[in-house]
Amino acid sequence: MRILIVEDEKKVAKALRDGLEAEHYEVRIAVSGEEGFFLVNHELFDLVILDLMLPRRDGLEVLTTLRKQAVQTPVLILTAKDTVDDRVHGLDSGADDYLVKPFAFPELLARIRALLRRGRPDQILRLQQDDLTMDLVTRKVMRAGRALELTVKEFEMLEYLLRHVGHVVSREMLARDVWRVTARATPLDNVIDVTVTRLRRKIDDPFETKLLHTVRGVGFVLRSERT
Amino acid sequence: MRVLTPSVRTRLTLWHAGVLALVICIFSAGIFLFVRARLYSTLDQQIRADLATIEKVYQEETGDLGELAHRMGITLFRVAEGETILYQTPDWPPGGTTPYRLGTLGDASHRIAAARDETAVRETLWTLGVILAIGAPCAIGLAIGGGYFLAGRMLAPVGAMAETARKITAESLTQRLPVGNLQDEFGQLASVFNESLARLEEAFEQLRRFTADASHELRTPLTAIRSVGEVALQRSLSAAAYREVIGSMLEEVDRLTRLVESLLTLTRGESGRIQPALEIVDLSGLAVSVVEHLRVLAEEKEQSVTIDAATEVSATCDPAILRLGLINVLDNAIKYTPRKGTIRVGVRETRSGEAAIEVEDTGLGISAAHQGRIFERFYRVDQSRSREAGGTGLGLATARWAVEVNGGRIELESEEGKGSLFRIVLPRVVRARLGGT
Repeated sequence: MRILIVEDEKKVAKALRDGLEAEHYEVRIAVSGEEGFFLVNHELFDLVILDLMLPRRDGLEVLTTLRKQAVQTPVLILTAKDTVDDRVHGLDSGADDYLVKPFAFPELLARIRALLRRGRPDQILRLQQDDLTMDLVTRKVMRAGRALELTVKEFEMLEYLLRHVGHVVSREMLARDVWRVTARATPLDNVIDVTVTRLRRKIDDPFETKLLHTVRGVGFVLRSERT
Repeated sequence: MRVLTPSVRTRLTLWHAGVLALVICIFSAGIFLFVRARLYSTLDQQIRADLATIEKVYQEETGDLGELAHRMGITLFRVAEGETILYQTPDWPPGGTTPYRLGTLGDASHRIAAARDETAVRETLWTLGVILAIGAPCAIGLAIGGGYFLAGRMLAPVGAMAETARKITAESLTQRLPVGNLQDEFGQLASVFNESLARLEEAFEQLRRFTADASHELRTPLTAIRSVGEVALQRSLSAAAYREVIGSMLEEVDRLTRLVESLLTLTRGESGRIQPALEIVDLSGLAVSVVEHLRVLAEEKEQSVTIDAATEVSATCDPAILRLGLINVLDNAIKYTPRKGTIRVGVRETRSGEAAIEVEDTGLGISAAHQGRIFERFYRVDQSRSREAGGTGLGLATARWAVEVNGGRIELESEEGKGSLFRIVLPRVVRARLGGT
């Protein structure tokens, strides 16, 4: 999978490249709108990550021109502007998704996976990790053959973690996708933390192998204990 | 300001003098015409008396007409019968340089004409005219001068106010305008200005506190990131230790991010850039959902949260914004209520017919000294405790904004050591207006 990053801030660009390469993506960097435009026209990419504030040629302008030329590569916009108008404008210009700086890296990875997966709907009825299984139809959760009683929020959170198994899930992602709250607020973060603690009590505490881990300062990840 | 004050003064003076000048002119003209009419009518009476005397003499002793001049002092007359002049004084007909006033009497048989010198009348009128012509401009001049002086005296407070106001800047907002007499208009104006200045001073003071607090709040995580990073780089650590360090730094970044986001929301809200999307909201339902949202936090502290929302109460507001406000109030209650405490969330109608959501806790309570400022951004009753509790210091400020932008108000009743009652009051929707929906 080849990803083009159009970003003039060198530190951010390098961090993105390192992070994405660690996830086994092939990454190219363009430091200006012009260069990005040139690369998209001459090479083939599966995804473009586009910063909006670029020197010489504005990100939105590049995007509009690309869409006029019928370039269908998915585009993920990165920007520090976060008003609703900016979002609408970006999506209207042909962007496929929108992420506001500063963003959590796990969130960027999740969005990239979602964009690359697009058009391939998954009809999953059952999620599993090690001896933990979740039946999405009967809404039953079992571990090591034992049924677990989860609250609605705990169930939704576990489902979300299972869908992103092996990948770190940030509090922002949980807030937006599980609690469906766009504005980040302190109370909600506490609620998330408490819910994680309780979920862990149910799915991990009675068992030898721990599955739900906290990645300090980043978020949570569901995986087997081996690192 | 400097140009405006004399201009008002000049205008006042000119208006005043103009009106006075008009009055004086009309008055002078009146006097002149009245005196003139009186003088001439006296003269005419004398002439008529002369004519009567002459007529009498003519009828009785025609020959004595010549003696009238020195006996009666009637020196100018003529008596004629038809074209024949019976008698005329030597100076007849009057003329030359001296002005005369003429009177006649007679019938078909005879005609008598008499005249009198009117020089004295003319001189009197002339003198009067001169007096008036000199006096009126003098009076007007005095009026201008006096008016200008008086207007200056009256407007002096304005000048003083302007002078003081010019010296007042953001740094010297403690100054106040001089208030002269509170009963007059200028005194009232000055006191109104002073009230505005007091409000301005308060606003500036809040801003100053906010800036100081905000920079402190922003610097704390920055300092932590910096020192944790620098210390970690001083020596080689194991991979696990580096993870710890980076994780710790990221936690601070997260804190900064949250802080900046909350601040942005508040600033946008307060500058009016967030417009509430008003709709009719069932407050009981909203309260129940907020309680359910935060219940896990209370459960962790073994607190019991009760909902008292028996009657259905609705209000017109933006449900998302109001929800944010209520979440912050309830979170605050959970945070400052000790383990096993009780929190009551009630929805009811106040006696004045407004809708109210009450959040009552058995927590620490807030002393009267802090109650006025508890809704300010970054204001904390107890610095160390609240930071430990993980707050940004913006919760109640956000709550107040969220309620006020919906046209409501937030009230606080609290007694230290006993607990607090936060009351969100919103204008209630009249059920009749719903029209069966």
